Amino acid sequence: MNELREVARKLLAEGTVNVVIGYEEGPRGVRPAFITAAEQADKLVFDTRCVQNLATYLNPRRKQVTQLGKAAVVVKGCDARAVAGMIREKQLERENIVILAMRCGGVLQNPETDTELTAETVSVRCAGCTAREPKLFDHLLGELPPEPPVNRQRLEQIAALEKMSPAERRSYWNEQLSRCIRCHACREACPMCFCVKCTAEKSQPQWIDSSSTLQANRAWQTMRVLHQAGRCVDCMECERACPEHLPLGVLARYVADAVERRFDYKASDDPTVPAPIGVYKTDDDEEFIR
Amino acid sequence: MTHKYLSQQGLASLVGELLAAGTRVIAPVRAKDDAEQVDYQLIDSFADAAFGVRLPRRSLKEFFLPATEVLLHYKQTKSGVEIREVPTVAPPQVILGATPCDVAGLAAVDKVMNWDYRDELWFGRRDATTIVSFLCNIMDATCFCTALGLGPESFTGSDVMLAPVDGGYLAYLVTERGEALLKGHGEEASSETIAHADAARKEARSKVEPNLEAIPAEFSTWLASNFDNPLWKTIALRCHGCGACAAVCPTCHCFDIVDEHISTDEGVRRRNWDSCQTSLFTLHASGHNPRASQSERFRQRIQHKFSIYPSRFGELLCTGCGRCSRACPGGMDLPTIVSELVTLSQAKTEVSGQ
Repeated sequence: MNELREVARKLLAEGTVNVVIGYEEGPRGVRPAFITAAEQADKLVFDTRCVQNLATYLNPRRKQVTQLGKAAVVVKGCDARAVAGMIREKQLERENIVILAMRCGGVLQNPETDTELTAETVSVRCAGCTAREPKLFDHLLGELPPEPPVNRQRLEQIAALEKMSPAERRSYWNEQLSRCIRCHACREACPMCFCVKCTAEKSQPQWIDSSSTLQANRAWQTMRVLHQAGRCVDCMECERACPEHLPLGVLARYVADAVERRFDYKASDDPTVPAPIGVYKTDDDEEFIR
Repeated sequence: MTHKYLSQQGLASLVGELLAAGTRVIAPVRAKDDAEQVDYQLIDSFADAAFGVRLPRRSLKEFFLPATEVLLHYKQTKSGVEIREVPTVAPPQVILGATPCDVAGLAAVDKVMNWDYRDELWFGRRDATTIVSFLCNIMDATCFCTALGLGPESFTGSDVMLAPVDGGYLAYLVTERGEALLKGHGEEASSETIAHADAARKEARSKVEPNLEAIPAEFSTWLASNFDNPLWKTIALRCHGCGACAAVCPTCHCFDIVDEHISTDEGVRRRNWDSCQTSLFTLHASGHNPRASQSERFRQRIQHKFSIYPSRFGELLCTGCGRCSRACPGGMDLPTIVSELVTLSQAKTEVSGQ
C-alpha cells in the first residue's frame, strides 16, 4: 500500500497525471477515490474490500471524471481486462492512461459484512482467476498474496443451468427477468457499456419496449448479454449495481463460457489481441449457418 | 391519541380476518433469493411475515406506483380511435409492519400527486390502503430519519403504529381509519403499557439521532442560492448515474409515459419509473442536454429533495431511510453528502455575516 501511495504521490507531484483513481476509506467501507493532490495520496488503500472495477470511471461517457484531466487508475487483474477492452475498442488511448496494477489475492463478495476470505466469503468471480498478477500496467505494485480459496457458488449455478432442459432454463430466466425494472443500472455501471446511444433508448424505431414487461425485459437482457459476448470482463459490476438483485453475473458468465468453448477466447488483458466480435477467422465453426 | 393493547395472538387473528375477507395484506417477508434479506410482499398467512428483521430492500412505493403500469388501451377502428381507460378504484389493502420512513415517503409523495393534477391511480390505491407501521427497531448506521424531522417513532403517514410491549403491541391509533381497522380487536391499554411503549419510542429515536444532526431550515434556501457553486463539479465523481438510488428510494416518483403497440391497430399507454440520474431524462429532441454530466444530474437529485420540493410543498423529499447509500455501487453516501453540504452552508453563512 505504501508503494501505491508513493507512486501516486509522485505521479501527481510531477504532473504526469491530474487524478489518481483509486480506493479510500469511506463511510460505508472502501469506496472509489479521486485523488487530485499529491498530499492526499496517503488516503489510498488497497485490500480485499476493493471490489469495485475502477476502470469503469475511464469510460468517456463519465464527463465528470474526464474533465479532471489525465488519469492514473488502480486496477486488479480482472479490472485490467476492462482497460484493455476500452483500448481495443478505441475508447481510450494507451498513452493517455497510467495503469497502477495491484497484485491481488482475491476480494470479498460482500465487503460490507465480511472481513476474512473464505470459500463462502470470497467473490465468486475470483474462482479460477489467472490474472492475480496483472500483465497490463505501467506500475506493478504490491507483494503477491496467497491464492484465495475458491467460492464455487456461481460455477455450481452455471452447472445446474447447463443440466436443465431448454424449457426449464427458459422458465428459470423468465422468473428472474420478470423482476427487472428496466432502470438500466447494469448498463451504467458496466465498463464495457459505452455506446453513446444504447439500442434500448432508440425510439425510431423502438427496438425494445422501455416498459418492464417480461417480453421487453427478456429482449433487453438478451441483447445486452449478447452484445457483451467476448467483451464482458466478468467484473460483475452489473450484478452489484442491480437494485433488484438479478443474477446478471451468472448470465454474463454463461455466455462468456460459450464464447470460450466456441472461439477459444477469454476476455484478454492484452489490448492487441482481437475479441471474436472484431475478427474474422476462416476456421471458425459455422455449423449454425446452413 | 387513543391507544389499545393488542396481543401477538390478537394481531394474528386480525390479519387472519383480513385475509379471510379478501383484503390484500402486504408485509415484510424473507426474500426468496436471499434469506438474509427482506422484501415487502403480499402475504397469504400471518406466519409469512418477518417483522423487525431488517429494512426491506425496496420501499413501499411499488404498491402505489408500480415500476410499469397500463394507463389505457387504444384501438384504431374505422370510425376513429377507441380508448379504454383502466379502473382507478383499487381493492382494499392493509400494509402491516412498514417502517416509519417508508410510510412517511408515501405521505411526502401525496403532495406532488395532488398538485396541478390529482393522480387518480395513486390516490385510488392510497384511498384503499390502511397502513399499520411498526416502531422501528431495525435502524443502522446509514439511517438518518431523525435529521429530517421524522424518526423511527414518527407517526407521519401511519393509520396505526404498533410498538412492541410484553406479549404484544401497544397500538397507537393515529387516524380514524386506523381506529376502524382495530374495531373489535385489542383491549384497553394499561398506563404501564403506554409508559413502556412511550419509553421505547424515545429509545428508538436516540439510536438514530447520533447518525446525523438535524438539518437546519435554512439549508433549503442555501441550496437554492448555490445552484452554480463549484462544489457540484466534484460532488458526484464516483456516481455511475445508474439510478439504483431512485429505484429503491421511497420518495423518487418520476415516471415516463410511453405508447406501446400490441398489434398494428392496438396498443397500450404505460407509465414507467424514470430517474433524473440518467442522461436520457433531460435529453432534448434537438440533441441538447441541459444536464450534460453526472455533476448536474446529481445536483438535481440533491436540489429536488432538499430545496425544490420543500419550497413547493413545505417538506423534504427524503425520509432518511438510507437505501440509496446501501444500493449505490459507487459508494455515494447521502447522509455524508448532506452533512458535508450543511457544514459548507453554515461556513458560508458565517463568512457573509462578518
